[in-house]
Amino acid sequence: MKAIDQFKADFENTLHLSKGFVKNIRNKAFEKFITSKFPTNKDEFWKYSDPSIILNLDLNYNDSGNFESDNYDIILSNGKIVKTNAKYKTGNIAKGLENGDIPKEIFKEEKNTFLNLSNAFAINGCYLILNSKEKNDIKILNLIDNNGKSQAIYPKLIIIAKQNSDSTIFEEIKVKGSGTNFVNSVTDIIIEDCANLEHIILDDFAKDTYNISNICVKQKKDSNFKSHNFSIGKKLARRDYNIELLETGANCDLYGLYFVDGENHIDHHTTIEHKKENCTSNEHYKGILSGKGVGVFNGRIHVHPKAQKTDAIQNNQNLLLTDEAIIHTKPELEIYADDVKCTHGATVGQLDEKALFYLKTRGLNEKKSQQLLLRAYVGEIIDNISNEEKRNKMMEIVIDRLPKED
Amino acid sequence: MLKITNLHASVDGNSILKGIDLEVKAGETHAIMGPNGSGKSTLAQVLAGHEDYEVDKGEVSYLGKDLLELDVDERACEGVFLAFQYPVELPGVNNTYFLKSALNAQRKYRGEKEIDAMEFMDLISDKIKLLNLKDSLLKRPVNEGFSGGEKKRNEIFQMAVLEPKLALLDETDSGLDIDALRVVAGGVNAMRSESNATIVVTHYQRLLNYIVPDFVHVLVDGKIINSGDKTLAIELEEKGYDKIIEESKA
Repeated sequence: MKAIDQFKADFENTLHLSKGFVKNIRNKAFEKFITSKFPTNKDEFWKYSDPSIILNLDLNYNDSGNFESDNYDIILSNGKIVKTNAKYKTGNIAKGLENGDIPKEIFKEEKNTFLNLSNAFAINGCYLILNSKEKNDIKILNLIDNNGKSQAIYPKLIIIAKQNSDSTIFEEIKVKGSGTNFVNSVTDIIIEDCANLEHIILDDFAKDTYNISNICVKQKKDSNFKSHNFSIGKKLARRDYNIELLETGANCDLYGLYFVDGENHIDHHTTIEHKKENCTSNEHYKGILSGKGVGVFNGRIHVHPKAQKTDAIQNNQNLLLTDEAIIHTKPELEIYADDVKCTHGATVGQLDEKALFYLKTRGLNEKKSQQLLLRAYVGEIIDNISNEEKRNKMMEIVIDRLPKED
Repeated sequence: MLKITNLHASVDGNSILKGIDLEVKAGETHAIMGPNGSGKSTLAQVLAGHEDYEVDKGEVSYLGKDLLELDVDERACEGVFLAFQYPVELPGVNNTYFLKSALNAQRKYRGEKEIDAMEFMDLISDKIKLLNLKDSLLKRPVNEGFSGGEKKRNEIFQMAVLEPKLALLDETDSGLDIDALRVVAGGVNAMRSESNATIVVTHYQRLLNYIVPDFVHVLVDGKIINSGDKTLAIELEEKGYDKIIEESKA
């Protein structure tokens, strides 16, 4: 339980950095964290990914570091803002709470251990207000910078898309240096009436990294959320989406592509809460698993009694490139309304032998044939990115990351 | 060009080819005819290198090389082309990108310069007219949503672009109406030359009215039981396979 003691020491040593409301939040959240049971793989929610392996690590809080680049509008280094653009209404969380940009209700009592831990370390963070009726295209770098230490970092983003705003946020996660990282990231997104938000997350390869990531989205009337999640397996990588369709006419599209190889691990748990009528959700996640990699996909759709005329689609496809790769995939549908349309499907397979043979009879070697089929496989997800330039760039990046096995 | 000697092949332990002997010279067109299950398609698949078929015995020499020693893609790069009976759909694989990658893989193998995008577009716009295919099919995924006739024409279109030395046409006529058959045959005939050869595998004599063979072989139960010129195909059509089998036994 080395890490718990360190969380405690770090919490106490940093508490003086906060005051007023934030200090109060931190105190409450830490109390809740320390008094609740730390999850293990005995918990159903963590069945295939044991987060308690983190507890054996030697983890020190770190938010230092600097980074400069013209390619991004906002840069966070180890969870702390090191660059912003004056064009946007942004700043750290304490500032946002102080000037009223962030509604205090965002910080409520949490059941989730990692949300509590994040709130306990709500020291820096970054908020971003997307103004009503404005169109925005923002690039954020979330840098994990380590000079050989064993560190715990808490990147926290709060994005509020105001009524009728229309924005694209491209969030890139990069890992610099070497050392052990425990990255407990939380992104809160509120999408107000008739607002559109497209959120692209591009993950990075990382050694010795344990990442627990929670993305919590609240959608108001007639809002649209389009998410593209490109994630990569790590020692432990768990990314959860919790989408709440709170008011009528809200729509979300969740697209995901995950890679895992070596002895790495990748886990996605997505939950879509259909709380009101006439909301739609469309989820399509695809995985490519190689080496001895382990993947987990758990997709939950919860249709509440009031959510009549719900239209929910969920699809998870997995490609196993080696005999030793493993995928656990499970759809979870809970439906308490009677006039709804819900479909789900999960597949696990290998590359189509017939297709490979066909390609080879045209002169393409095994590797090139595989790549052509993989390219087609990932294309189905990438093609959903609205902007052509971003789509093409993402295709290039993903092609470059495809497993290169001879 | 191609010399098959005493070729035996099986799939899952079931013997299908039971001693094939066949010689094909440059400039020739051979037709292999036979009833269902005689091993016609197996012969085409074995020559293309399909891994499901085990070669148990025999030799295949192609342009002085041991064909059976080459991988599927190496055979293609050496100029062997199989037009599939059932062309495979490749969702998400763009037809043009696929064909350009294939052509360049073959050129690279032969030590030739890779073709650039402009040259390639010129090349395919010529060839696509030959097969009477719509330009829009080039932008679509390979064979996906193509009609039966379009798939077959797409096979011959690929062949026209890749310019093989030895073309294996596996039941290319099946599923084609008479107009499409003429177009496909026209495409194949336009490519015939003194330096390449064609093996046509078919059930029916119909196709051979359009692609006129120099030799016709009758394949029954994994063996060639009779060989002749194009009149043998006409005889087969008139008498049926049973009669020919009986006569050859006598």
